[in-house]
Amino acid sequence: MGQVIVLGLIAGGIYAIFAVGIVLLYRGTGVLNFAGGELGTAGLYAASFFVTRNQLPWLVGAVAAVLFAALIAMSFEFFLVRRAVDADPVVISILTVGLAVTLFSIEIFITGQTPQKLRGPIDGGVEVFDFIVGWHSVFALVLALALGLGLQSLLRRTDFGLGILAAAQDPAAARLVGVPLARVRMVVWGGAGALAAVAALLVEPTVTSFTPGFANTLYLDALAAAVIGRLTSLPGAVVGGIVVGMTEAISRHYQSALGFPGSEYVAVLSVLLVTLLARSLMPDLRRRFDARSYQPAEVSA
Amino acid sequence: MTSLALTGPVRIAGHRIPRVVLALVVAALLPGILAATPLLSEPRALSLSTAAGLAIAGLSLNVLLGYAGQISLGQFFFVAVGAFTLGLVTGVTDLRLPWVVGLVAAAAAGAAIAFLVGLPALRLRGLYLAVVTISLGFVGAESLFRIEAIGGGSAGKLIPPPYLGSDPISSRVGFLAVALVLLVLAWQVDVNIVRSRLGRAFRVLKADEEVAASFGVDVARYKLLAFTISGAMAGVAGCLYGTNATITGSLGSYDRSVQLLVVVVLGGLGSRAGIITAAFLVMLYPDWLISWFGEGIRGFDLIINGFVLMITIAFQPRGYAGAIQDAREHRRMRKGGEPPLPPTRPHLPDLRRPSGMPEPRRIRTGQAVLEAREISVRFGGLQAVDRASIRVDKGTIVGLMGPNGAGKTTLFNAISGTLTPDTGTVAFLGEDVSALPSHQRAARGMGRTFQLIGLAKDQSVYENLLIAQHLAAPYGAVAALTTVGSRRWEREVRERADQTLDGLGFGHYRNTLVSRLSHGQQRIVEIGCALVTSPELVMLDEPSAGMSPAAAEDLAATLLDIRDQLGRTVLLIEHNVPLVLGTADELYVMDAGRVIANGEPSDVVTRPEVVTAYLGQAVDA
Repeated sequence: MGQVIVLGLIAGGIYAIFAVGIVLLYRGTGVLNFAGGELGTAGLYAASFFVTRNQLPWLVGAVAAVLFAALIAMSFEFFLVRRAVDADPVVISILTVGLAVTLFSIEIFITGQTPQKLRGPIDGGVEVFDFIVGWHSVFALVLALALGLGLQSLLRRTDFGLGILAAAQDPAAARLVGVPLARVRMVVWGGAGALAAVAALLVEPTVTSFTPGFANTLYLDALAAAVIGRLTSLPGAVVGGIVVGMTEAISRHYQSALGFPGSEYVAVLSVLLVTLLARSLMPDLRRRFDARSYQPAEVSA
Repeated sequence: MTSLALTGPVRIAGHRIPRVVLALVVAALLPGILAATPLLSEPRALSLSTAAGLAIAGLSLNVLLGYAGQISLGQFFFVAVGAFTLGLVTGVTDLRLPWVVGLVAAAAAGAAIAFLVGLPALRLRGLYLAVVTISLGFVGAESLFRIEAIGGGSAGKLIPPPYLGSDPISSRVGFLAVALVLLVLAWQVDVNIVRSRLGRAFRVLKADEEVAASFGVDVARYKLLAFTISGAMAGVAGCLYGTNATITGSLGSYDRSVQLLVVVVLGGLGSRAGIITAAFLVMLYPDWLISWFGEGIRGFDLIINGFVLMITIAFQPRGYAGAIQDAREHRRMRKGGEPPLPPTRPHLPDLRRPSGMPEPRRIRTGQAVLEAREISVRFGGLQAVDRASIRVDKGTIVGLMGPNGAGKTTLFNAISGTLTPDTGTVAFLGEDVSALPSHQRAARGMGRTFQLIGLAKDQSVYENLLIAQHLAAPYGAVAALTTVGSRRWEREVRERADQTLDGLGFGHYRNTLVSRLSHGQQRIVEIGCALVTSPELVMLDEPSAGMSPAAAEDLAATLLDIRDQLGRTVLLIEHNVPLVLGTADELYVMDAGRVIANGEPSDVVTRPEVVTAYLGQAVDA
């Protein structure tokens, strides 16, 4: 059981970082980004250009990956999102599906399907429950927690953070009170791209190689994690990530007992549905409860 | 292209033949004829049948996303459900039933599964639904279809070719004929949806669920119908992917669902001709690219698809079919010039009660049309309506005034049923309707308008008048899909819409989108929509808001016409005191959720408590 928990936490940390990027963009623009997995993968290709091809240190590659993914996300915002005729967030979300398709097919066209390797950042790890956990995984989990709490207070406590929140809720009003909308959106998109690259960099040593679209399944699980964590809450995204990671690890552990393939997908869908339905029924229940307990107060004339 | 429809007969040698029959004959015979020429080879026929499958899948996603506005990013899950059902029904190691039985079973399974998926969708909106459908696609591809008994394990499932009598249709050309026939049928189903109350309900649902409910559309039922119909069509598409081939769980993968989204967006949401064209292009042009530019270009088509998808959404969200339509409309506008403004004081159409709606109950003398008793509504800490009672007698205009936030609109919502009050009862024409949902109250003869215009703004004036008669043409979904038994209703609905349109003087604005009309014009259209089903009681929420003084005077005359010429009863929320004094027979005034005064209007407005509510406490000089 100990191993299951460790495996769940390792995967959960990665999901959490992806999910923080998803929530950041959703809170800042109302857009759900379907292209995060491909943005991260594109970053890895930039990293492998420096690290594998030109034998530079891993850190140089990592910085390149983060910058490259952020750059793609920002140019996507600048050239397409900003100019979109119909600025409805749902439409822009479908637009990100287009970005994912484009990045994926460019990666395939240039590199083919051959798996690429990136030399790991830090070798070795720590032994927990007879299981060696790579330092990168430990780092991912710590980073996820730090991001969840740190970004949250950044959003709530700083003017720029509040501007991000205001920009999504009412762009026109935010502009009127002096929020630099263009800059805010650029930063939010860039941040979402950068976080996707960080998650991809930290998951790559665990899966040991990468191909175009390798992060897609992980990323779509992270989408579920973000939704489970309420989609608007950064700490929630971290919790959601760990919940999804654990759910998968547990159902994989009992895979043979369950007797059907892919039980982890069924488990994630179940958790997703139960959370969503419970949450959507909550206001009704609460209202009914309020109505019953309410005693009309006499208003003094 | 969208106006190219397969309904309406064609005359051949004196016989009237429905166009759809003609199209079916062509679809069945054309592949055989072409195969005799070098134009159609066996491999080409295979990719064309797959394209037909993609096109039908595209039409299925269009029903969900294009018409009803429900995002599905796992549509190929339903396609795979169809394919595997076909395999289970016709497979040599399974039931070995005829292919046609498999086809019907595939449609039924797709419909059933989609119905189940639709259930949570009643509670989820937009992007949440997208994430759930993605997750569902994974469950299909990685789990459900990999179960030995369903998907044949890792080897996949081998599905035999269809049989015509005892001979298998093993030639690709023969199967293409089957595929094209199914495509024509899917096209016809799509046409029937668009032209029926089903399509109208979907479109208004997509535009605004509250507006849909106010027109009497049962939102939950129609969402589920959209899922069910879409699932059935996807199941049929699955039969084209699966026949005479081995399929594995990857048929239902996310990648394929995304490819389908590309097809539907490129073709244009809501445009069946555009979607079918896009499906065939996406399937065929990669081969053309390779034959022109050589093998090195393989895979480049995916990049082009991705780019074109992004640019389409960013700059042309209605797809290229939408672009063509816009250009056509623009040209027509320039040629015709500006149409004359409609009159602000319309002639009201005196329509009979539609034959599809029950006659309003007769009431005895002394019984009220509407009687709401002790209504209370609480929002969190705010008591919005506090034991308010109101009575409206037949053939009168009753005004409801009160400062902002007094609870007038909330009381309206409780009366019309868009909101369930915490306490209190509503009796309409002597019947207790407290437990009925809003659409059933509307069917009994309650019509209403909204403070913010309650119309489907992205639809034309005529379309809105048709949607407003949703309850007046009560034919079922099967009648809508087949047009059997719906024609009589449609004729009546269209006649009434035409009469109303002419009466209102909006003939020139028949096809104008409501969003392009001025506020005052929208109000008149809204009143027309409330009157088109000839309701007993018309409830108007601030009809003069945003109107010029002159238009408000015309409105007063219109209100009197509703009472005197049509003999209807009116309940009216208004801030415009002269308008209320000039029209109302009785006046209620609300403040802080309570009815503080009622009686003869000119008397009520002079009472001190009413003046206080509006102007504040009198100050001793």
